[in-house]
Amino acid sequence: MSRRLSWAVLGLVLVGALAVGSGGRSGPPTEDQRVQRISSVVRCPTCRGLSAAQSDAPPAEAIREEVRRRVQAGETDAEVKGYLVSRYGEDILLQPKTDGVGIVVWALPLIGVTVAVGGLVLVLRKRRTRPGAKVSDADKALVEEALRS
Amino acid sequence: MSAVLGTAAVALGLAAAVLGMATLALGLRRNNPGMLRAGQRYVWLVLGGAVLATVAMQYALLSHDFSLKYVADNGSRSTPLLYTITTMWSALEGSILLWALVLAGYIAVMARHFRSRATDPIVAWATIVALGVAVFFFGLMAGPANPFRLVAGAVPLDGPGPNPLLQNHPLVAFHPPMLYLGYVGFTIPFAFALAALITGRLGEGWLVETRRWTLFAWGFLTVGIVLGAWWSYEVLGWGGYWAWDPVENASFLPWLTATAYVHSVMVQERRAMLRVWNLSLLVATFSLTILGTFLTRSGVLDSVHAFTESPIGPAILAFFVLVVAVSLVLIGSRGDKLRSPGSIDAPVSREAAFLANNVAFAAFAFVVLLGTVFPLLAEAINGDQLSVGAPYFNRMTAPIGFTLLFLMAVAPALPWRKASTETLHHRLLWPAWAGTLTVVACVASGLRGLGPLLAFGLAAFAGAAALRQLALSVRASRRAGQPVRQALLGRSNGGMVVHLGVVLVAVGFAASSSYGHRAQFRLAPGESARLAGHSVTYLGTTVEDRANKKTTSAQVRVDGGKVYEPALHQFQFGSQAIGSPSVRTGPFSDVYLTLIVPPDAAGVAVIGVNIQPLVAWLWAGGTVMGFGTFLAAWPGRRRRPSTSDPGPEVVTTPDDDIARPEPATVSS
Repeated sequence: MSRRLSWAVLGLVLVGALAVGSGGRSGPPTEDQRVQRISSVVRCPTCRGLSAAQSDAPPAEAIREEVRRRVQAGETDAEVKGYLVSRYGEDILLQPKTDGVGIVVWALPLIGVTVAVGGLVLVLRKRRTRPGAKVSDADKALVEEALRS
Repeated sequence: MSAVLGTAAVALGLAAAVLGMATLALGLRRNNPGMLRAGQRYVWLVLGGAVLATVAMQYALLSHDFSLKYVADNGSRSTPLLYTITTMWSALEGSILLWALVLAGYIAVMARHFRSRATDPIVAWATIVALGVAVFFFGLMAGPANPFRLVAGAVPLDGPGPNPLLQNHPLVAFHPPMLYLGYVGFTIPFAFALAALITGRLGEGWLVETRRWTLFAWGFLTVGIVLGAWWSYEVLGWGGYWAWDPVENASFLPWLTATAYVHSVMVQERRAMLRVWNLSLLVATFSLTILGTFLTRSGVLDSVHAFTESPIGPAILAFFVLVVAVSLVLIGSRGDKLRSPGSIDAPVSREAAFLANNVAFAAFAFVVLLGTVFPLLAEAINGDQLSVGAPYFNRMTAPIGFTLLFLMAVAPALPWRKASTETLHHRLLWPAWAGTLTVVACVASGLRGLGPLLAFGLAAFAGAAALRQLALSVRASRRAGQPVRQALLGRSNGGMVVHLGVVLVAVGFAASSSYGHRAQFRLAPGESARLAGHSVTYLGTTVEDRANKKTTSAQVRVDGGKVYEPALHQFQFGSQAIGSPSVRTGPFSDVYLTLIVPPDAAGVAVIGVNIQPLVAWLWAGGTVMGFGTFLAAWPGRRRRPSTSDPGPEVVTTPDDDIARPEPATVSS
């Protein structure tokens, strides 16, 4: 099998498997899934760092129940989170919102990585095209000969 | 008595460190070899001071000398022996003492290691820098964080004991010392880096001298972090092991920059490139250990480890600023000498892969640092109350993690300087198939989700690449007629073993954070519940009264087999009950049980059940990483490092496959 073909087959198999594997569940998320999704980005008020989904503390359980009640009442995720923010304050959310000062924590790494990767590409390109030391024809001949033997 | 001895010991350590610095500085100024040798001897007095202070503290703790404020605040007559010993690092002042002890030990080992070169200015300067760090930590103990302060007023008869969470699991005896061996170990390479900057001997000499020190520090830090995760899993009872808590991040940050460093030094050794970058990484690693101490010990962030509001915050912050400022000025002033004579020839080469690795690690560290300090900054600047937690870190670092796994798979196969497509095809095809087939197998067995599938595939790719290198190495040493164990020793082979450990950790992390199940069950004695294919049967509870705590244990039978006992502890002086989980660990999945609510009048208890796959792979991976570091640091058959600094020069060797036993280049 030719070199290119073997990699093409590998790529196809990989993409196919990932496509099947990442194919989501059919239909809208269930109530349990939504409660899980919302409470995993909400802080447990009494235990720093843990989400309401992870903690067994009573306040976390209260939040999970509140979220479930509101999901059952037909509120959207944003509405439920909005309620929790109004009740507990902005810092109840474990990831800052992108409006306001919170945008910094999302945007800075992206900008930084873009600049770093751009710089890396530039460096590699520059090095590549930079003319090296002058090579005389005699040197070239010497190399040719060495390679032939 | 302990107070007097301890205070005297701290004073001895502080004075010896100051005098040692002064003697060495004077010796350098006057070019006096006798003084330089004498200056080195003060190191032993510093060590003596630290050991004596530790002995005094342990004696005070063991003899329940409550006239000491530290013992009165953190000791207790009813605390078991092990936790009385570990009380030394269960609160702020004692943990500074542990830091000073480890630091003094490292400096003494350094002085002994370089004793034949005591008159070499670079060694003298490195000792001065290291002693300067010691002055800071002894100064903390002499001033704001004095562990030997006496109680005001009457001596209490008993104390509250250490934080209940810190007397709940024997791991507390291993995790902090291991972590400190890691943190503090970076002082030595940092000291040599500054010494190289000061003396202007910026060749690869200092790098080679401190290479093994860096590896050991890195290994200790790695094992310390994994032990911390394990402790958190076994003690905290929420079923996880990594919460992106500021304290965890504080230990992870220097690990990230140090990991970048242990990779990029190879580029400098081989190609004499990236000098400024490597110096910056070492400075970053050391200063991040100090910043981490500030974040966790000053009380700016509240968490289990940030014991109290303390006056040492400003002192540590000032030291951090000083370290960064001095390092930046030195690097800036040596800019001309730091220009690298080498250059990168091709974007597909080992050195380019290391460069990409460094960009990824730097980005990783930046994200973790930003996320950790952002709530503080936002609050300080415009009073906003914000949280940055696990969802943020997971989302931002996942792509970086995938990139790193991919690089880990590809880079070992790349030759230095330039790779041909022929080489790539030959070396990468079957590892790539291993990754692809892993994904296929996972999908076929019903696993879903792009993230975990990518992680498993890339991990298998990287694992196969590492195994291929090790297999080649074994074959090479067979051919050369050497014993096979030789094939595992040395940096490149040990490094591949470390990579295998990383693969295990990555798989464990991806699996347990994607495919876990958790639930709470209200059960009467004899009742059973099922979760994710496992059954748990609640049998009943027992209550045990001990001197320091009252323990309520539930008996829970798992899968009809062994009985596990999650418990709730009510400590004598603790306000709230502390749960201790009980875990059935298995190679493929853990059953993690907690007692959430003790039985009510009707005997109904609430049991938390957490089923997590492959958690044990994390601990196995950590062990393999530690073992691999040990192999990598093994002397092997290398030549002794040359004692003279070769100065700036281009070190070049022909393309080679690292699977070969490492060739003796100028730098090794």
